[in-house]
Amino acid sequence: MIPLFHILEPLEDILSAILDWLGPQGTVGLTWAWSIVALTVIVRLLMVPLAVKQIHSMQAMQAHMPEMKAIQQRYKNDKQKRNEELMKFYRDNNVNPAAPCLPLLFQFPVFIALYLVLRHPDDLMHSGDQRSWLYIVPDITEHANAHWSGYLLLVIYVASQLASTYFMSTTMDKTQRTLMMILPVAFVPVLVNFPVGLVIYWVTTNLWTVGQGVVTRRLVPRKPPPPPKRSSRTPPKSEAERDGAKAEEEPAPQPSAPAAPKRVRRKKKRKARR
Amino acid sequence: MTIILRLPAYLGVGLVYAYRYTLGVLFPGGCKYHPSCSQYAIDALRRYGLVRGIVLAGWRLLRCNPWSKGGVDYVEQQRLFR
Repeated sequence: MIPLFHILEPLEDILSAILDWLGPQGTVGLTWAWSIVALTVIVRLLMVPLAVKQIHSMQAMQAHMPEMKAIQQRYKNDKQKRNEELMKFYRDNNVNPAAPCLPLLFQFPVFIALYLVLRHPDDLMHSGDQRSWLYIVPDITEHANAHWSGYLLLVIYVASQLASTYFMSTTMDKTQRTLMMILPVAFVPVLVNFPVGLVIYWVTTNLWTVGQGVVTRRLVPRKPPPPPKRSSRTPPKSEAERDGAKAEEEPAPQPSAPAAPKRVRRKKKRKARR
Repeated sequence: MTIILRLPAYLGVGLVYAYRYTLGVLFPGGCKYHPSCSQYAIDALRRYGLVRGIVLAGWRLLRCNPWSKGGVDYVEQQRLFR
């Protein structure tokens, strides 16, 4: 085993204990599949305060919409500068629509530890325990490609993954976002070798993310700022050179007239997609 | 020779990219800093090598918590190593 996994042993033990408590032999007495769902919900419930904080931040941001739009407009040809200015603006006004990275990291060990638990199911599960789920999955410790239900779950997984990426990647640029949408599909050949229980974990956590995203959108009525986009049009050379040096202090030139209709069209496209 | 000395840092950069295209996709999220934490880690590893790069990236991750304000934060602005 990779030495890194040894660091996770205490967490593996904790997860095993919680699963045991939730499981058929424990106090709660759920089947193993539902225990995994319950464990996922517990992990996500612990993270709800963070989501609430973010919703508050997004609500506070609504008041600053016009200023932010102005910044986006001013630096629409310079992705780097625009991100910088937006981040500065967020900081100055004590708002930030993006999630911090650290809480995200807490999910990795849970996921890896769950993987380790499911790799040696007999340490935890008794031979007589029910390992099926919802009458269609015969055994959650088997690989996803062992039964047709595994493929069904993988389809649900990909759909839920795309949906959760849609909600979580509002601050990313377009190319990155497209890549994030394609990769889950590319993962499927790898995921078929994962235990079904792990796919259940993924589906649950993704559906939670989607639910949270829907609630967030409802509580924050207006759309969050459109993801920073790289313009397909390269900025006019002369303009960029002329203003390159003084861009630090001075706002970049307002968009020239020919650019205006193009922008309108792009905006419409974005609306149609949503 | 320099290339050999820099190999560990490149290994670290490779690991960050590996993270981006595996776990990073499975657990989508943004970053409240610019550049993002993973980009910061890559920059730090390239500039300061494996050990100091890891320290800087780790410190940045710790700062990327719900109680910080976020904002613009480049590797060049760091004050841990001078």
